[in-house]
Amino acid sequence: MTSFQSTLGEEEGIAEELAASQREISIAEFFEKNKHMLGFDSGARGLVTAVKEAVDNALDATEEAGILPDIYVEIKEGRDYYTLVVEDNGPGITKEQIPKIFGKLLYGSRFHAREQSRGQQGIGISAAVLYSQLTSGKPVRIESRTQDSGVSNYYELIIDTDTNEPEISVEEELSAAESDLRGTHGTRIEMDLEANMRARGQLHDYVKHTAVVNPHARIELQEPKGEIKAERAEGAGLPEETEEIRPHPHGVELGTLIKMLGDTDSHSVSGFLQSEFTRVGKKTADGIVDAFRDRHYGRELRWRPPGIDAETDLEAAVVDAVSNKGADDTAAFAERVVDAVEDAERVAYSEVEAIVADAATESEESSGTTFGDTVQEHVVDAVWAALTEDRAADIFLAVDAATTVQKDDATVRGLAERIADKFGSDTPRDRVTRAKLAEFVYRAAEMTEEVEDATVGDTARENVVEELWTDMATVPDDLPKTKDVAGDRDTASELLDAMASVDVMAPPTSCLSPIKDDLVEAGLRKEFDAEFYSAATRDAEVHGGDPFIVEAGIAYGGELEDQGGVDLMRFANRVPLVYQRGACATTNVVKDIGWRNYNLDQPGGSGLPQGPAVIMVHVASTNVPFTSESKDAVASVEEIEDEIELAVREAARDLKSFLNKRQSMRKRQQKQNVIMDILPTMAEKVSDMTGNEALDVEDSLARIMNNVLVEREIDDGEVTLRVENHGNTAADVDVTDIVTAEPADASDGNVVEMDGEWFVKWSPSVSGGDTAELTYSVPDDAEFDLSVQGVEDARLTVN
Amino acid sequence: MSDANTPDTPKGDDARDQLVELAEQFYDQFERGDVPKMSLPTRSKSNIEYDEDSDVWVYGDRTSTRSANSVRGARKLLKSVYTIDFLAQQLDEDRSSTLRELYYLSESWDEEEAQFNDQSESDKLVEDLEIVSGVKREDFHMRPEESGAKVMGPLRIREQTNRGDREIHCQDDVGQGGYQIPNNPDTIEFMDCDADFVMCVETGGMRDRLVENGFDDEYDCLVVHLGGQPARATRRLIKRLHDELGLPITVFTDGDPWSYRIFGSVSYGSIKSAHLSKYLATPEAQFVGIRPQDIVDYDLPTDPLGDSDVNALESELEDPRFQSDFWKEQIELQLDIDKKAEQQALASRGLDFVTDTYLPERLDEMGVL
Repeated sequence: MTSFQSTLGEEEGIAEELAASQREISIAEFFEKNKHMLGFDSGARGLVTAVKEAVDNALDATEEAGILPDIYVEIKEGRDYYTLVVEDNGPGITKEQIPKIFGKLLYGSRFHAREQSRGQQGIGISAAVLYSQLTSGKPVRIESRTQDSGVSNYYELIIDTDTNEPEISVEEELSAAESDLRGTHGTRIEMDLEANMRARGQLHDYVKHTAVVNPHARIELQEPKGEIKAERAEGAGLPEETEEIRPHPHGVELGTLIKMLGDTDSHSVSGFLQSEFTRVGKKTADGIVDAFRDRHYGRELRWRPPGIDAETDLEAAVVDAVSNKGADDTAAFAERVVDAVEDAERVAYSEVEAIVADAATESEESSGTTFGDTVQEHVVDAVWAALTEDRAADIFLAVDAATTVQKDDATVRGLAERIADKFGSDTPRDRVTRAKLAEFVYRAAEMTEEVEDATVGDTARENVVEELWTDMATVPDDLPKTKDVAGDRDTASELLDAMASVDVMAPPTSCLSPIKDDLVEAGLRKEFDAEFYSAATRDAEVHGGDPFIVEAGIAYGGELEDQGGVDLMRFANRVPLVYQRGACATTNVVKDIGWRNYNLDQPGGSGLPQGPAVIMVHVASTNVPFTSESKDAVASVEEIEDEIELAVREAARDLKSFLNKRQSMRKRQQKQNVIMDILPTMAEKVSDMTGNEALDVEDSLARIMNNVLVEREIDDGEVTLRVENHGNTAADVDVTDIVTAEPADASDGNVVEMDGEWFVKWSPSVSGGDTAELTYSVPDDAEFDLSVQGVEDARLTVN
Repeated sequence: MSDANTPDTPKGDDARDQLVELAEQFYDQFERGDVPKMSLPTRSKSNIEYDEDSDVWVYGDRTSTRSANSVRGARKLLKSVYTIDFLAQQLDEDRSSTLRELYYLSESWDEEEAQFNDQSESDKLVEDLEIVSGVKREDFHMRPEESGAKVMGPLRIREQTNRGDREIHCQDDVGQGGYQIPNNPDTIEFMDCDADFVMCVETGGMRDRLVENGFDDEYDCLVVHLGGQPARATRRLIKRLHDELGLPITVFTDGDPWSYRIFGSVSYGSIKSAHLSKYLATPEAQFVGIRPQDIVDYDLPTDPLGDSDVNALESELEDPRFQSDFWKEQIELQLDIDKKAEQQALASRGLDFVTDTYLPERLDEMGVL
């Protein structure tokens, strides 16, 4: 698991930790010291970050209110400062909300949520406000109007850097006439900040990319030297609402687990697991609890009772262990014990205890004789002594079963004896953890190799451990309560280990809101004037207990410029990643794909492909792993990289077939051009030579090009449109003849009159090699205008 | 002047009609709405077969179709049509031209797609037309650029020239260079002949040696210079000397794989002009040498075989024309000794060795002398 994870969306984010440890210094100083982490390290970048935070904020505010976002961003160049205006058409904010939104630097309702969201740190807009105030000294101006309100509220505020609270310096009501708001409701934030426009490219990218990935939003940017107006994609609705989910057992870390254990109301570990984690029911909890028990207590080895031919008489031993009871009752008790032990074939210490206790209960019920605790203890000891008389024989069976037949008997026996020797007074109840058992087996194997000059490889050792462990008994001891687990780091670690060892169903994906392939495509379509678009949305996958979905889209050709490498757009939770492209897993995955297979140029066979194309990759997750706090690059996590690759390849497959088809159409067109040039000349020449009348080459041409040929024949007012398909596959064509006189007797066609012209329309399906005849009759002086659709132009010949 | 063994091919107006007929085929294809096409025998080693009636190698049954379905095919057909038109016109006007002239002439055609890219393309196309029309190139009035080879020996002929018929004796009336074979040797009439056999020599140097040593005089021999791969006119004349005058034909070349092919084209016909084998090849021709066995027997100065020599020898082992025991044995021997020798290598035993010893002995052995 990656270490940075605990810094995001978890309890102990770096920023919070830092802030906590720096309480004695002012918030301003904290910001100043850490602004590089928050994306405010330079004036150029500070402006982009401020826009980014404000726009994310605005998108969230409108979406939460169920309003399709309409975001307006304006950057004005003042004498000393730049002024940034960001306006949304959200529900507006009330005065009470102001301290919450603009106050505490680290305020954020989503900070702990396991739900896909834009900002995961809650550091957003307040950092921008603070940056503005620290660089310009001016208050932030906020105007807000709630829905159906005739007036809007106007505030000017600064953040008190000592108390970290907003301080409202001006508060007034504005009438509609005085309002700067563009819409009937919404919020407008205006701030001055020290900045420059050196990062204009990134700013434009950010806005344009945001528009791609939020096809449901209208976004407009006005800045001194340019503007972007991104319209809403037709039919794009609000993203699906996400649901917050509980953590997944595979997605927590030790610190989090200990904290959860301390906070829970459940006493039992099982109850805790079921109530605090997603996808954990009774069965999964039992599995985890057993695994936890194994790790906490270990398991007990089981031994075979002595056989019939053994010297030890188990029954006699039991009888001997019992004193001061009636002989008959003792005998009956002993028989019960021995029968149960022998029925079990192999028994562990705790199982012997249970058998003896059961026998005692039964005997008491039938004869009234009590076999008390002390007696039971003696009996258990007696039985146990008999069982453990020859451990090596039992272990031999397991070792023999676990090793290959090639191992000679002496080696197996030696190994078994050495393992057996490890058990005894040092291992009360013959109870060991798997780790301890493995240690025994490995030590015994080393020794055996040394003494017997044989080889016991790692596989053989593992097999022996597995064989023995599988047959060991889970102990019945009660597990520690949650409070105790919380208080002991080692025990908690055992629990975490147990949670990781059990298969748990992947977390639900209701916490994710992917854009979906059709809207990814729509987003690309509206922002890029290309020739081809494709998009792919993968199914949800899990990384470290956090579900994630990867989507990819490609736009190619058209007005896109070929500037060498393609334009790669990266997104995390619908937020464009503008900086640190080279450090991003997305970039690396795209570079490692063999793009030549998809008909794109890729010099050297690796690196970004070349050509007039845009590739977008969106990673949506409850917890996108970033390489750093400024969230500019997705960290290299194998599961996520795999999905990125699959998504991109899926989209690229469509690109490939498009490019293939285009290439073949191009070739076809070239061929047709050459042949169109050659055939008539050739025909003319042969007509000349043979002295025959001139030839028409269209039929031959159509046949050569496997074309669909549509020919008109008019014979005494009878019009025949012959649709000849010279290809191999069926052609479904729409043939429309626009006639200047009223047609009659149209075969199977529709006739519609419009403004003195008649549209005769057929939709025949003509299979390869076939011909369809469409007929009608018209007066002699009619004029025609034929259009044919449903066949690529290059494949169509209309006469 | 024509012999019974030589099949008749259309000449004059008939030749022109054949061309027009080709054009008509294309016309009909267009008219039917078909894709214009032309079928030709496949011109490769794998598609030549032995014709038992005439003892020569001719094209087999495999054909390739050239159709306007592909851009390449369409271009070829267009060029064919232009060439047919040109040839028909040439026959109409009773003019003639060379293959090279045809190539340059195509530059003047209005349709750029019909122009030839290089001369080998136009040469090959003319051969194609020979095949599909059954008319010989000579009867299209197409000449090769290079002049035919030369003949020296006791033979009197009459040649029809542009300036009237000329009677020439190929020893008495010619210089040291000999009588120049015209492009169309069918214009020659044999008057009288004192020669006993024909000796075709590959290299100019060896021909000059034989002439200088008076070999033609001494042995009543017609010395024909092949000059590398022999021109059609040379081969045609050789065939006529054999068929009409009954002279034995012998071929004397270097001792390397390329020279064996020269013998092969005189004797069995060439792959390129297998359609004319019956007209050009002399199956009775005999190979004098240099044989690989000679390299061994006379201990001739040699060069080692290059890679291409080895490839050529191996390819000859698979060549249907070299499947006789004699050739298999000689070629395998050569591969074995890994050596080749030129005709002139015989000079290592003195300038007269070839005429005094080598040839008389060999010809005697072969029963020619």
